Amino acid sequence: MTFGSFVLSALAVLVLLGVGQRVLDKMRLSDRSALALILLMFLGGLIPDIDLGMVRVNIGGALVPLGICIYLLVTADERAERVRGLVGAVLTSAAVYALGRIMPAEPEKIALDPVYVCGIAGGVIGWLLGRSRRGAFICGVLGVLLADIVNAVVLRLSGIRQQLALGGAGLFDTAVISGILAVLLCELAGETMERFARARGVGPDGRRVKLPREEKRE
Amino acid sequence: MKKALIALALLLMLLPAAAWGEGEPAYYHIVDETGAYITHYTGTPETGDEYIAHDNRHYVITRVEESVHTAWAQDKGVYKMPDIRWLQDDSRAVAAMKRAVALYCTHSDESYEPSDGDSSVTPRGGIYDVAEKLKGSLEAQGITVYYNNATHLPHDSAAYRRSRATAEGLVKKGVDAVFDVHRDGIPDPDQYNITINGEKASMVRLLVGRSNQNSASNREFAAEIKAVADKMYPELVRDIYIGKGSYNQDLSPHAVLLEFGTHTVTKERAEQAAEYMASVIQKTLYGGVTGAAGGEDRSAGRSGRGAWTGVASVLGVVIVGAAVFALASTGGMRPALEKLKGGVNEMTGGLLNRKNKK
Repeated sequence: MTFGSFVLSALAVLVLLGVGQRVLDKMRLSDRSALALILLMFLGGLIPDIDLGMVRVNIGGALVPLGICIYLLVTADERAERVRGLVGAVLTSAAVYALGRIMPAEPEKIALDPVYVCGIAGGVIGWLLGRSRRGAFICGVLGVLLADIVNAVVLRLSGIRQQLALGGAGLFDTAVISGILAVLLCELAGETMERFARARGVGPDGRRVKLPREEKRE
Repeated sequence: MKKALIALALLLMLLPAAAWGEGEPAYYHIVDETGAYITHYTGTPETGDEYIAHDNRHYVITRVEESVHTAWAQDKGVYKMPDIRWLQDDSRAVAAMKRAVALYCTHSDESYEPSDGDSSVTPRGGIYDVAEKLKGSLEAQGITVYYNNATHLPHDSAAYRRSRATAEGLVKKGVDAVFDVHRDGIPDPDQYNITINGEKASMVRLLVGRSNQNSASNREFAAEIKAVADKMYPELVRDIYIGKGSYNQDLSPHAVLLEFGTHTVTKERAEQAAEYMASVIQKTLYGGVTGAAGGEDRSAGRSGRGAWTGVASVLGVVIVGAAVFALASTGGMRPALEKLKGGVNEMTGGLLNRKNKK
């Protein structure tokens, strides 16, 4: 490996760790907890998977993100938020599964990488359902894991025995990237919409808002 | 909330219906600006797609006409192939490498009609035999091969998502290169059939994804493989296609997707091509030094320009992304800059903002 390749690989890890930390930071977690969790995902990904026969579970790519989702659901302010999170996860998994079947499979035909598609689906559904970053993270992570489980069940029913790998790529797994991407999309959409609404003097809830003096000057 | 739920539910009800409504795959002719034929193409090319032909001419798709299944490409001249003068100088040794490569097959059902009876065989198609052949040939050259023969069914776009765990597991072993073994879907076998040294073989297409940070590095690696193959077996490598996907090549700066023939060639031809390809890979990575004792490489001989291009692109994406987020949330340049400063300060624990603290 050339020095450039090494720097490139290290930079990719650092950027993912940095962005992941910023994303988790927005989930009712302290700076330190967010950093600890993202490092746990990275280190957990380096540990061999837990082999349960027909299922293989990666600590960093599946167990830690799943734990965060459970924490977010448990600490949700109201029951409706929990329901929205779970409904969103089911809807995202259906979208992820269906999109996997619809989108072209041949490499020459792929217009948008399937890994990013999952994050976009999670972000859009999470935002539509509750305009919530936490909801988007739950949709992004659980949506991918559930879609993989559905695929394994469908295969099994058609008589094909294929080991199910949950979160097998650790920090680089689709489940993690999808969760992070979903939050970023939700955040971008939310901030932009809010910005436009406030510029028109209307809040997200449709009520008139009074802009602070400093912002009016901008 | 209720309206959104109903809309989503309706949308999702329609999606699975469309999922099984796949039509016949489209085949396009790619022609240059004068209308001269360049190549066949499985699928719908898109503006901006890149193609390095067998004769190293570099094309960029500029127009696609769906009604006549034709795409027009701009000839960008001869692609600047890597300098491989070292090929004549096997004694050149630079640094120790692991002498290990990784193989896996994302599309598990891919098969060869004349030999396997169908173009798609589940759960394990003929492509695994080609991968086995490549593995054996590489090992015969003294290279350690980590081959994961896991399946990633079904054959859909999500197969790349499922094979990601396989690819990452192989990358973790610290290999020098990662190859995803496939076959093409062009119906005409003559597009791939060749004879090398009197042996019937198939051509090989190299495929590099461009939507990831390793794209430039992997493109450089693919170009080097083609340059070496052009010297050793001039007909072996058909072309290099630079596609829109990532194909899990974001996991390694030395990852290439190899397409051994198409579904209408015999598997035996593809296996023969795998044997030749093993020699090309061995020469490209290790400069012709065979056997475990010759654990030397010529990695520093590479320009490494692709990797640095990747570094620059990652930094560019981070800076642009952060600026977009800051602008979207603040609505002005000054508050955006303040927000960015605050974010950097928070992430670095104030290390970069000591003066302000004082």
